[in-house]
Amino acid sequence: MSEKISRRDFLKLASVGAATTAVLTGCGPASRYVEREPYMKMPEYSYNGLSTYYATTCRECAAGCGLVVRTMQGRAIKVEGNPSNPVNLGKTCARGQATLQGLYNPDRIEGPTKQGRGSGVSPLDWDAAIQTVSEALKSNNPSEIAFLMGTGSDHVFDLASDLTNAIGAPAPVRFGALSMFESRATLSKAAENLLGQSAMPFFDLANADVVLSFGANFLETWLSPVAYTRGFAKMRRGNPKQRGYFIHFEARMSQTASKADEWIPLLPGTEGLVALAIGRLVAEAKGGAMPQAFASVDPLEVASTSGVKLETLEHIAQLIVEAQTPLAIPGGAALGQSNGLSTAEAVLALNALADNFGKPGGVFVSPLSPNEDAYHRPTSAQEMTEFIAKMKSGGIKVLFIHGVNPIFELPKSFGFAEALESVSQVISFATFPDETAIASDYIFPDHHGLESWGYQRVATGTTQSVLSGLQPAVSGVYDPNTNELLYNARGTADVLIAAAQLAGGKSAESLPFKDEVEFIQSKLANLIGETDGSFVAPEINTFSAYFQQHGGWWKKTAELATPSASSVLSKSVKVEAAQFAGEGEFFFLPFVSPTLAEAGANKPWLQELPDPTTTVMWNTWVEMNPETAHELGVTNDDVVEITSEAGVVKAAVYLYPAIHPGVIAMPFGQGHTAYGRYATSLGTSEKFMELVPTSQYVNGGKVSPRGANPADVLGAHFNAAGDLAFAGMKVEVKKTGETQALSRLESRIGVYGEGMGEEH
Amino acid sequence: MSNQMVDLNRVGAKGAIAEAAEGKWGMVIDRDLCTGCQACVAACAMENNLSFVGEEDAGYGRTQHWIRIERLWEGEYPEVKMDGGFQPMLCQQCGHAPCEPVCPVFATPHSEAESINLQVYNRCIGTRYCANNCPYQVRSFNWRDYHIQPFHANLVNGQLVFPLHNQFNPDVTVRRRGVMEKCTFCIQRIHSAQDKAKSEGREVEDGEFTTACAQACPASAITFGRVDHEESLVSQLGQVSRGTKHLEELNTLPRVTYLEKG
Repeated sequence: MSEKISRRDFLKLASVGAATTAVLTGCGPASRYVEREPYMKMPEYSYNGLSTYYATTCRECAAGCGLVVRTMQGRAIKVEGNPSNPVNLGKTCARGQATLQGLYNPDRIEGPTKQGRGSGVSPLDWDAAIQTVSEALKSNNPSEIAFLMGTGSDHVFDLASDLTNAIGAPAPVRFGALSMFESRATLSKAAENLLGQSAMPFFDLANADVVLSFGANFLETWLSPVAYTRGFAKMRRGNPKQRGYFIHFEARMSQTASKADEWIPLLPGTEGLVALAIGRLVAEAKGGAMPQAFASVDPLEVASTSGVKLETLEHIAQLIVEAQTPLAIPGGAALGQSNGLSTAEAVLALNALADNFGKPGGVFVSPLSPNEDAYHRPTSAQEMTEFIAKMKSGGIKVLFIHGVNPIFELPKSFGFAEALESVSQVISFATFPDETAIASDYIFPDHHGLESWGYQRVATGTTQSVLSGLQPAVSGVYDPNTNELLYNARGTADVLIAAAQLAGGKSAESLPFKDEVEFIQSKLANLIGETDGSFVAPEINTFSAYFQQHGGWWKKTAELATPSASSVLSKSVKVEAAQFAGEGEFFFLPFVSPTLAEAGANKPWLQELPDPTTTVMWNTWVEMNPETAHELGVTNDDVVEITSEAGVVKAAVYLYPAIHPGVIAMPFGQGHTAYGRYATSLGTSEKFMELVPTSQYVNGGKVSPRGANPADVLGAHFNAAGDLAFAGMKVEVKKTGETQALSRLESRIGVYGEGMGEEH
Repeated sequence: MSNQMVDLNRVGAKGAIAEAAEGKWGMVIDRDLCTGCQACVAACAMENNLSFVGEEDAGYGRTQHWIRIERLWEGEYPEVKMDGGFQPMLCQQCGHAPCEPVCPVFATPHSEAESINLQVYNRCIGTRYCANNCPYQVRSFNWRDYHIQPFHANLVNGQLVFPLHNQFNPDVTVRRRGVMEKCTFCIQRIHSAQDKAKSEGREVEDGEFTTACAQACPASAITFGRVDHEESLVSQLGQVSRGTKHLEELNTLPRVTYLEKG
């Protein structure tokens, strides 16, 4: 051992040791399960007081960040970023850190269950579960079988795709609230319209010197937040001679906006116009013929509609003219408008004008993941309404749900919960008792991500082509008193393989695998001959051993494709005025909670992380400009009722100094009616010290929602790419007279005169 | 970075440099990079077995955050700014720590070997004098036995089972009610690095290990390392012109340097 040894080297050595063992034993199914044994019977490679590290992939969102999990005596005790995974290079976000609280969550589903849609819950064994799935596959017309899946767990998606393809059932539908709020369909449609290929654009933040973000909340949850945060840090301080300059356009100061040198509040829906106006001013300053894209816009008019002063637009245009590598990023609420698609096109045109396509600090096309044929975006919200319509019409007899909680994640107005009643059989593979799982006929719980095999394709965030790999860091969670498994979960891939083989016929032919690991190996096999990979291996067993050891497989060199910019500027881009649904006085701006995202609410430490901008914990708030609140006669902690054409929601007011007076904003992530004890609420603190049987949470029992869900007031309105126009609602706000004290980290003394006595 | 002058006004009163140089471990936090994402807070909680306290106690300011992100508003809409960005605040591991002399039972002594402030949980009797005297407000008190509240348990075969306890880091004590706690600069990581170095007959290298917060930070805003090595990254960053130390006018000799936007 060398004299100098870094922690990273130590990890490498430790993992080489583990992998060598795996190779020697052949790494076949016999060695597939990582032992988590009681103290008296420990795995042979485990030493008292020494940790074992496993490289795997984070499942808290679909970004595919690599993790190294520290385990000791079969327990996972800490996750760190995998330093060699190109997506996150050793870094993690708060949700990744808290993934352990999902693994050890007291509200995990204890085993396969006949849920009976909440009426009669009875446990099953796995044989009965596999029998049920097999029957569902066999006895239904294939066209009436549907899979609804989340954006994570690519290997389960691939397996379900192979299965549905073989039996002639419709391809699995993938949906997630994050991809809805990220407007992924809009991004890929804009790329298709302007660049000629449907793709996930990659914005090289790290090498840009002036960055304009039109609503893109890339430091929070957008696409690949850890990767973009790394890029942001490099943009700011990577070049010792010059600090990158960052301007953000959004109606409220989001966490991302708070890091901007200039935050420009504007009227929601005018982001595209502002981008065109800036483009025109830049083109004028540069001289020459005016590109078609900016020809029809009048900056003065834009200044009056958007509320951004003409001088500000001119000053920003000047910054771009002087910049070496300017970059403009479209995202978030700017795209969640009726004119979202043309906004995305306008912002891409701004990049074309800066001539940064395929150049450092510019716009690229994200490389495809190693075993991917083309970019497949998740289902858009509009396509989900078609899916729901099919459910309602009785066109779906059996519905398999994996990795997504549509009752919570989709706007209530879509009517998913009601449509579920028209489906004869609903089988959920949920790990946690979420809203959709408890409304299902059966729950066959999948492993938590840290117990799972699998892989995740990296859609964007890095210049390299990456396939992140998952392996179990622990084999399960055990009862310390009896050494019995507390949560009898089974990999959904294993369940589907077993059920397909039991069903026979085409199902069995499509999945001729012994188990999940063999299936994953079949999907990795074509990478063996690939050059320029992070490792080479002569055959599949060695390849999968290295795949586990490295936490995936990726190309060593950058593979960004350069989009063609030539035709972009000659196309006319027309940003029409945004349409707003409803007659209310206020623009409604929902945003994804940066700490909770769509599925973090059941992890108590995520609940107790203060929101970065408001410092509120454990609840939902409504952000309101203090002036607006004064006019409405409400102040901090006053509960208001927000009414749109689609629904009503109630939450306490937070006086937010950095929001447009005509806009109110609300975080998405809370408002669960199920999903365990931390995601819901008991009401009083005394109860927090009581034992409350799990059944009371699972069935709704005496719990009430924690916070509120802004998706309850969103109507079914879409932009031209089919993404939800989630920021295109107008709402009424009414004081209710109730109050609810929000727990905040910040002190309130002296803020807006609170605690200062009557005279203030 | 010998060409950069050490600003005497920044490192405190005369003699402070000598004291600062004696310190072994230090931290530099770049506020221009901190995005307020809370990854450090979560990482610290997972590494150090911090308890979460629930909504109501959190509202009373009883959260167990060894590191917290402060954010400060300035101005009125639309000219409102977040003054200088986010500010992660944690125990500054003062050279002259105001918390130390007020403890009647010597539960928070100064480590001569490491030059950091220790917290000895089994000595602490919960007077909370130290927290009152800490100008940085970074100490947190265990008002309840948060970890073992039955609320977090499941009843399995008639016994309370706490699945969340599986996650505890065996290198860190789990604190009970009535005990004060604070950031330790991940002393368990310092110790394991020292043990390893000692067994190999060498000193601990800069960068051989880092604290949980610095390790997680996606923006690499936090740098931890040896301040007694001139060439270490943390020493070099600590001397750049935008560095400041908080409340150094109190002569606390903080071991954490903040880099301002500048």
